[in-house]
Amino acid sequence: MSQAKKLMAEVGLEQERLEMFNLGASDAPLFAAACKEMTERARKLGPNPLKEEEASVK
Amino acid sequence: MIVAERKPFEEIKESIKDYRKVLVLGCGTCVSVCMAGGEKEVGLLATELRMNAGLEKRDIEIMEATIQRQCDKEYIEPILEQARGCEAILSLGCGAGVQLVAEMLETMPVLPGLNTRFIGITEAEGAWSERCRACGDCVLATFGGICPVARCSKGLINGPCGGNQGGKCEAGGDKDCAWELIYHRLKKQGRLANLRKTAQLRNYATNAHPARQVNEAYQTPEKAGVKS
Amino acid sequence: MTTDTYEPKLVAFCCHYCAYSAADLAGSMRLEYPANVRIVKLMCTGRVDTLHLLRAFEDGADAAFVAG
Ligand code: SF4
Ligand code: SF4
Repeated sequence: MSQAKKLMAEVGLEQERLEMFNLGASDAPLFAAACKEMTERARKLGPNPLKEEEASVK
Repeated sequence: MIVAERKPFEEIKESIKDYRKVLVLGCGTCVSVCMAGGEKEVGLLATELRMNAGLEKRDIEIMEATIQRQCDKEYIEPILEQARGCEAILSLGCGAGVQLVAEMLETMPVLPGLNTRFIGITEAEGAWSERCRACGDCVLATFGGICPVARCSKGLINGPCGGNQGGKCEAGGDKDCAWELIYHRLKKQGRLANLRKTAQLRNYATNAHPARQVNEAYQTPEKAGVKS
Repeated sequence: MTTDTYEPKLVAFCCHYCAYSAADLAGSMRLEYPANVRIVKLMCTGRVDTLHLLRAFEDGADAAFVAG
């Protein structure tokens, strides 16, 4: 996990786009919260610049 | 095994900046084991390079391949064709591997993606340390299987320097004093007498570079100069 | 892709035994969570490799997380 974050930094991608959550089989609310949290972060950071690149090519 | 570490990303990026089609070539032996240049590291580096190029809107094609060994021609041959289709090779082999790949491709730039460090062992997961400097005149028999050439910071082979500080080397870096290790090992083996003997003169000629070795029994008749 | 239509795409790497069950349960509990999450089910999150995470981003994911 920390290696992936380090590599993202090297490449020039925001590390906040990646996260780890610990939860158990019955933690449905936590799972929903994790999804929400990450969606929020992605909204704030804007689209993945790599995807934009591809979209503009197509 | 040969232990190496990956060069900083920026340095690698700079070295391939003039090429638009690059083959990242891994080696499946030593550098795979020390997690610097195997198939997995090739995948990571190639992905990183592609992502970075995408972010900076640069046009570059990064290919990936990993062969069993880069220090044997037989393993390099099968990828020569793929390699020739590229503008440069980024080799994740040790220094020897990079050189043989470069020798076989001759007209093509073969760039090193690793810094080759030493001959060593795996200490623990993710940690490696030096054990041998390939001196060509091994003294491990006398010193209880601990190499003073590689493991004493000063490479002393006739006893400690006197700078031992609580078992650590005065040269710093939290290194164990090789001579203290040797003493304790020989004591355990009941062979302390080895240290009382006058040290044999060392043959430093064995350490001349570049070293080469030939075993005639394995050479093909033409190469050995034998006429059949 | 314009920013007004921007709906982030997420990849979730889930362990079959915990997070995936949690996601399943979230479904049966009718909990609301963003619909843009693509779940990659694994036998165990120990299988997740740095390469998988990087590839997710290379292929255009806006965010990714590992749950387990
Ligand atoms: S004595 Fe020479 S050959 Fe033997 S381990 Fe030390 S460096 Fe290597
Ligand atoms: S303290 Fe020990 S290891 Fe360090 S230089 Fe002296 S003899 Fe060598």
